[in-house]
Amino acid sequence: MPNALITGTSRGLGRALAEKLLSEGWNVWGFSRNASLIKHARFTEQLLDITDESVVQHAVNLLSQNAVTLDLLVNNAGAASMNALLLTPAKTAEALMRLNYLGSFHTLQAVGKLMVRQRRGLIINITTVAVPLALAGEAAYVASKAAVDALTKVAAQELQPQGITVIGLGFGPVDTDLTKAVGKEKLALINQRIGRPDGTTLHEAVDFIFEKLNSKTLATGHLYYLGKIP
Amino acid sequence: MITRSQILVLILNRLKSLGVELHKPALVEATEQTRLFGDKADLDSMGLVTLIADLEYDLQQNLGRTVSLVDEKAMSRLTSPFRRVDFLTDYLVEVVNQKNP
Repeated sequence: MPNALITGTSRGLGRALAEKLLSEGWNVWGFSRNASLIKHARFTEQLLDITDESVVQHAVNLLSQNAVTLDLLVNNAGAASMNALLLTPAKTAEALMRLNYLGSFHTLQAVGKLMVRQRRGLIINITTVAVPLALAGEAAYVASKAAVDALTKVAAQELQPQGITVIGLGFGPVDTDLTKAVGKEKLALINQRIGRPDGTTLHEAVDFIFEKLNSKTLATGHLYYLGKIP
Repeated sequence: MITRSQILVLILNRLKSLGVELHKPALVEATEQTRLFGDKADLDSMGLVTLIADLEYDLQQNLGRTVSLVDEKAMSRLTSPFRRVDFLTDYLVEVVNQKNP
């Protein structure tokens, strides 16, 4: 049975993806700050803060000490914030960069070493259409996810010789807690721009991830979007 | 506790495996004087990354705790600890002792 590590499994896309992988026979490890409602014999949860490098490194080392191999890492944990650029508190910008970018960086680095030893693996960084659309009102969020996109491209180059594929999967607004605070008009506008006027359900987002998981033609370093990016 | 000679054995064993994998006989026959990185070295940057990841794992297995071989100080030294097998051996001894006084 293949093994996956997903960050941010307590709710939203991370939880839905974990449940889908479990139903498909995967073993799933979840890194999350808050406890998940997932109860499954093949689900192991570790409550931790992925912005803490040593904590992440230690948690991944525990996996390798227990001879766990990882076929898949999904860097999913993240947060968003809607603010006009000039009114965005510095602390908000810092917190988003810390969680969205550094959280992904620490996890990718720790799991990357494990996958280098395996000489194989797939790393998926969850990103957003907000970056290529340069969405107004989301400067701090877009900047943090743009950093994740850059990380994806560089990691892909460095890890390809070791048999590791790194891709980004980007979504428009998915029906989760993350988008609840965004106005309906704003969501409709974004969904129109990416050619998905009805928006994106969790189910559709998970299906998109599975489509890529099962693809034989993934291009490492590529950012794939669910929706049309102009 | 792990001795310098045990650490050297770990490094040479990993280099031997890498040498077989990368088809580089010089790594299979590595000694303390073998250059790892830089001019006339047999490892490229990706090979060095692989070696470091493998050694972190070996030390973790031997010591039962996490060991990180890459930090700001290591990267900024005038003589890189990753340049030659003997330098790397001494550096690993230093790291292991630092974190386990």
